Amino acid sequence: MTSLLSIKTVAGCCLLLALPSLVRAADSQWILQKSTLTYHVSHPLHQSEGVSHTARGKGVCHAGQCDFLIAVPVKSFDSGDSNRDLHMIQVTRGAEFPIVTVRTRLPESGAASTTINADLEIQFAGQTAQYKQVAFKLETQGGETHITGTIPATLSDFKIEPPSLLTMPVKNEVPIRVDMTWRPQ
Amino acid sequence: MQSTSFGKLGSCVPRVFVVWLLLAGAPSLMAQMPGTGVLTGRVTDASGAVVANATVTAKSLDNGEMRSVTTGTDGSYKVEGLTPGNYRLKFEAAGFKTMEVASATVNGTEASVLDEKLEAGEQISGKPSAAAQENLPNAPSATTTAPSLADLGLSPEQTQGNAREQALLDKRTRMLKIHQRMGLITTIPLVATVILGPGAGGKSEGTAARDLHVALGGLTGDLYGITAYYAIRAPRVPGTKKRGPIKFHEAMAWIHGPGMILTPILGIMAFDQKNKGEKVHGIASAHGPVAIVTAGAFGAALLSVSVKF
Repeated sequence: MTSLLSIKTVAGCCLLLALPSLVRAADSQWILQKSTLTYHVSHPLHQSEGVSHTARGKGVCHAGQCDFLIAVPVKSFDSGDSNRDLHMIQVTRGAEFPIVTVRTRLPESGAASTTINADLEIQFAGQTAQYKQVAFKLETQGGETHITGTIPATLSDFKIEPPSLLTMPVKNEVPIRVDMTWRPQ
Repeated sequence: MQSTSFGKLGSCVPRVFVVWLLLAGAPSLMAQMPGTGVLTGRVTDASGAVVANATVTAKSLDNGEMRSVTTGTDGSYKVEGLTPGNYRLKFEAAGFKTMEVASATVNGTEASVLDEKLEAGEQISGKPSAAAQENLPNAPSATTTAPSLADLGLSPEQTQGNAREQALLDKRTRMLKIHQRMGLITTIPLVATVILGPGAGGKSEGTAARDLHVALGGLTGDLYGITAYYAIRAPRVPGTKKRGPIKFHEAMAWIHGPGMILTPILGIMAFDQKNKGEKVHGIASAHGPVAIVTAGAFGAALLSVSVKF
């Protein structure tokens, strides 16, 4: 009887100790495996693109909802022209605000869909902009989910003065193509 | 028996709770790294209600380094990894006036606590209020489960702003904008000088065309000098490897730069020979070809950064 009691006591203690980890175990997480983010700038004389492959991202799911955070250094965008990249960093105040962050909250069930509309909150150049119902395509294969879409960003959303070349400014629209592969953890 | 069992279980609960508390609290206890400080507090509105998603920015008055965090759902914020010193603090939230604290001292031994009360006012940024954010169908929220930059493995060095570097980039852009505009302006007298060249140095015996050519050449040289000054004096950004059209643009400068010095020297020699009634001869006869190569290199440099080939 005494030993039975002590077993129950130990089991009770273990249950209490394990409680936080059990709660945490109910959550799932997503990790950004690889990504390609491309911004497109239009100028009357030419078009240019800057590409970054260094975004980091994580999604934490709880109670059917997943909070995602994606962060990418402003300096990581490469247009193939170091002079243009330095101008881009300057005009977007990339030294002062070195990280672009994208936050979104999506239903956990969304991973099973082929398309998803996300409300994005983007912090960039010291400003925060909201983009509602941005459409993304989803493709799940081998446990990985491949997401593609375009964020309809504009320079004015972030109070960025359009840079000019030969006194001609670039267009306000700078769409950002997103190509990401996520893996559940 | 049951009461005995629960009694024993009950006796273990406080100890378990203490252990759990220690385990759960350990990360925050370890959060203050040696040699760095922490600034913490709570943001509320005039009625005392907490303000979630307010942006708190701490800017060092000593070295300009900046760090921003947002308040959680309980209105609390925590800025970690601050170098001990004095900081200017800015509190921003949608629907509230921006509040600034001119100086707050952060030390490396204990967390500095600074609570702030915001006054209702005009929305100063695009960031929605907590209430507005809740109305969005699937907007992000500052829940305890939401990942942070630290969760992504980004160090404070990677996320903190560098005001000095930004100032350097601003200065560089300002100077290069002037360089670009002056380069365009220089093109006008440069082209005119080249066009007038054959008339000035050919078979013509008149001096009017020659004088105009000399005057335009002189103007071109002056404008070119100003253009070059702003390119040479624009600050360099350390750690930047040059790639793309700028390499060709700079390579062309090694042709049109010496050319812009040599062309007027040869021109003066040719001018003297013509004034003496002589036919331009010797090295002075290279004035025209050198000028054309110089103008060509200048044009190529300009086009290389303007048009994508």
